Amino acid sequence: MTSHDVTLEWPDGRTRTVEVDENETILEAAECDGSVLPYGCRTGACGTCSGRLLEVEGTRPSNGERAGDGDADVCAVDDVVAYRRLPRALKDRHRATGYVLLCIASPRADCRIAVGSSVHSELVDNPWK
Amino acid sequence: MSDASTPDSVEPDHEHEHRHEGPGYATPQAAIEEGEREKLAYVMSLYVGTDVDAPDFVSVVDLDPDSDTYCEIVDRIELPNRGDELHHFGWNACSSSCHMEGLERRHLIVPGQRSSRIHVLDAQDRRNPELETVIEPEEVFEYDLSAPHTVHCIPDGEILISMLGDADGELPGGFLELNEDFEIEGRWEPPGEIEMNYDYWYQPRQNVMVSSEWAAPETYYPGFDLEDVEAGNYGQRLHFWDWEAGTVEQTIDLGEEGLIPLEVRFLHTPESTHGFVGAALSSNIFHFWRDESAADGDGAYRAEKVIDFESREHDDWDMPVPALPTDILISMDDRYLFGSNWLHGEVWMYDISDPSNPRRADSLSVGGTFGEVQEVQDRELAAGPQMIQLSLDGERLYWTTSLFSSWDDQFYPEEAERGSVMLKADVDPRKGTMKLDEDFLVDWGECPAGPARAHEIRWPDGDCTSDVWQ
Repeated sequence: MTSHDVTLEWPDGRTRTVEVDENETILEAAECDGSVLPYGCRTGACGTCSGRLLEVEGTRPSNGERAGDGDADVCAVDDVVAYRRLPRALKDRHRATGYVLLCIASPRADCRIAVGSSVHSELVDNPWK
Repeated sequence: MSDASTPDSVEPDHEHEHRHEGPGYATPQAAIEEGEREKLAYVMSLYVGTDVDAPDFVSVVDLDPDSDTYCEIVDRIELPNRGDELHHFGWNACSSSCHMEGLERRHLIVPGQRSSRIHVLDAQDRRNPELETVIEPEEVFEYDLSAPHTVHCIPDGEILISMLGDADGELPGGFLELNEDFEIEGRWEPPGEIEMNYDYWYQPRQNVMVSSEWAAPETYYPGFDLEDVEAGNYGQRLHFWDWEAGTVEQTIDLGEEGLIPLEVRFLHTPESTHGFVGAALSSNIFHFWRDESAADGDGAYRAEKVIDFESREHDDWDMPVPALPTDILISMDDRYLFGSNWLHGEVWMYDISDPSNPRRADSLSVGGTFGEVQEVQDRELAAGPQMIQLSLDGERLYWTTSLFSSWDDQFYPEEAERGSVMLKADVDPRKGTMKLDEDFLVDWGECPAGPARAHEIRWPDGDCTSDVWQ
């Protein structure tokens, strides 16, 4: 079984590298590792488990949009993860900027992903403010 | 003798016998007269969507002013899993089963909005409820439903839960029925009756149920997005059902002034066909009623906007701030409509003696974006008033401050750091006034695992947002 190293990076600077089989989700592997990630529906509908792709090993930075200040450019996220089901909670603009639903995503490359509850909060902001 | 057991007060075709041998009270007035002052509250408490490594829990809050633990969370029933987003909940039996000998108001049905997991708590020991049964999400998905919301009991001991999505978190939603052993009985309504779903209330003596609309779970779960409003992904309709048949008889489109109709309440008196619904995004309250003289139908329902909260300018906001009235309730005597404007920071009460013409009685400006009171007992309020609950006698109004984890993070991000609070106002129903009780504060910011959010409130023996009379 092929596996990939997925490095989880929290906003407080903590990092943890988890070996994830291609047939398990990043959330499942993180749970087995004892790493606490937020989650909700576990079906790709709610977005609570959102992560943001920071870097893919072995790929040159693409010309894709930057995912956020200080982040590396990301290549097409759909090439880096395979989804068990449709990632319904993510809009096209979210997927284009590197957001990943960790509850249904399995890796296809070694990568670094920003995790923690603040990533989900990035998906939408206060439209009036 | 209760009102409802007076022969003159019973409709000729109403066959329900008013023997009061089961749970609850014979009439709304009996609830006011016989119900004791609330000494405990059950409150939905949650960590979902945060980095706190703990499951959501049900708080038992001490509301007895004579108790040494007044205003404290005296018990926390931790649920087995993380990620549930406990939201709304209900009893296995209420006053609608007051004739059912042997049935008890004993079990709390506690769904997880995000997980679609349904918990059953045995609350026979009111101060120390225990988890009894868990219905796992996979069992729910088998009926192509997800995102459980409003829990009401059916008068014969069964339980009905509004479900906001299908198994994929898309539309349509529907209704899930549990039997008295807390097993899934099946899908209550014929599939395809509605697309969107949210809250509902039934008036069995009138054989009517009304349901409202939020959106598909995949739409509202991640947070509020104006793109979804423009795309028509949020609801603006009310559905009136044949309660016995479980079929939609009439749908009313409330239009742009009725965007996101959330909590929907019939008056408590079982004879009434009047009710109210709050349209959160449009910041309006609608009155609905059955128009017996309707020329275009046999007793068709009508809906009319009766309260309009104006948006307000704020220096820190780019656009006028909408009020966002997210919760409403009707006092047990059907005299007042209470509500919360979450963004503005206001709780309000309107005299609805004439339901077509609500008269503003009083309001409190507390928390939120504009609240005159921004801290209680030196505790900063991180958000506006949200879920409300009223004592049976109508003299104490309580509220919490969390709406929905992802929406909280958008509009009041500091609530994740400070947690929710529960506050209280003393109400004078005779004069129609409210006064903030600054001696009352329950703080979810001090929970052992970290600050938690607090949502819906229930009393152990029935309240203004769960009891129905047959």
